[in-house]
Amino acid sequence: MEGFENFIGLNPWTALFMLCNLVIVFLVFKKFLFKPVQKMIDDRQQEIDTLYAEGEAKRLEAERLHADYSAQLAGAREESARMLREANASAQQQREQILREAKADAAALKEKANADIALEKKKALNDVKDDISSLALDIAEQVVGKNLSGADQNALVEEFLRDMGDLS
Amino acid sequence: MNITGPGIYFTIPILGGIRVTQTVVSALIVTLVLCIAAVKLGKNLTKRPGRMQVITEKGVTMITDLVVEAMGEHNRRWVPYLAALFLSSLLGSLIGMTGIFRSTTADLSTTATWAVMTSLICWYQSIKNFGLGAWLKGFTEPIAIMTPMNIVSEIAQPVSLAFRHFGNIAGGGVITTMIYWALAGASAALLRLIASSWIAVAAVLVLGGALLLIKKPKKLMGKALAIVMLALGVFGALQKLGLFESVPFLQVGIPAVLSLYFDCFSGLIQAFVFTLLSMIYISNACPPPEEAGK
Repeated sequence: MEGFENFIGLNPWTALFMLCNLVIVFLVFKKFLFKPVQKMIDDRQQEIDTLYAEGEAKRLEAERLHADYSAQLAGAREESARMLREANASAQQQREQILREAKADAAALKEKANADIALEKKKALNDVKDDISSLALDIAEQVVGKNLSGADQNALVEEFLRDMGDLS
Repeated sequence: MNITGPGIYFTIPILGGIRVTQTVVSALIVTLVLCIAAVKLGKNLTKRPGRMQVITEKGVTMITDLVVEAMGEHNRRWVPYLAALFLSSLLGSLIGMTGIFRSTTADLSTTATWAVMTSLICWYQSIKNFGLGAWLKGFTEPIAIMTPMNIVSEIAQPVSLAFRHFGNIAGGGVITTMIYWALAGASAALLRLIASSWIAVAAVLVLGGALLLIKKPKKLMGKALAIVMLALGVFGALQKLGLFESVPFLQVGIPAVLSLYFDCFSGLIQAFVFTLLSMIYISNACPPPEEAGK
């Protein structure tokens, strides 16, 4: 040691040196410590906020989709039930119609057959009547030996037929 | 016992002699330590922090929160300056504990520079934020007759800041020096008394041994007393034999406890007080943006 300063004294060179030291420490702190650290903290905070916001958005989206699908599923179920019901009803209706038509067809066929039968019967009767009348005429001619006049003949036939009709 | 200012290592013989004092050397070390630590801690920051980064971020956040709480959100830009002030002061005080270097804050040049720096910032900010006229007019308030008082208080502000910090740290050093001196004197006096006769030596040894071995004191004070008595006996005997002269054995222990207060506690408190007062002064000069317009 060369000597000592006063216990209470100001040394301008020391003061200047201390000022420089403080300014240097301040600048270094600002540039190398506080700015990057604060930036890092802010960045991280921002990233966390973004992530949370994204997560929340995704959750909401998922909930919305879930609701959508649920609704769709319910709709599909209802639709299928309705379709089944309709198909049933339609099948029933069709069956009934087919049945009805078949019955009607059958009835028509039967009726036609009956009519045919009646017609045939009438025709057959007429044929028989004609045959019988001509047969009777032949017999009568042979019996009487003479030709009856037209009017007589007709009268005779009618009479005969009436008898026949009564008989039949 | 001699109480002096910082020692002068050598003088650079230019500009009327620049004296390189203990303060300058200590301050250089403090500045280097702070700058290297700042650069090292501020490097390689990642979004997923390691252990060191967590501590760094915690420290930065703590200081920032403290400043923002005391000064308001708009004064966030003062954080690095106040942190530099606080850590320079704290480390400057604590470096005295090494025993090799002198505390930078035990030199009035240091604390006065910092205090004037704070005042200059206040004045500059006041003029910037309120305008020169409004700032000068502020001295005449509440009444014109108060003007000299206001000027004195404005000057007293840095003076009190500087002397408070300097006084506490330097005073601590002075008291420590005095205690060492007093304890050396007490040791010498006690030893001279004991070494005057072998009977006294034997009596002290027996008393100390009996206290330690028979009574088996549970409390720290009892143990300390017994050990001091034994040491007194041993060193008394050695002095009587002419081997040692006035061993200052009382200097062991007591200064350590006092150092805890005068160096650690006082250094921390003074750094905190200095920074906090600087914060308050500067925040008075930098009101929130909406109030500055009034």
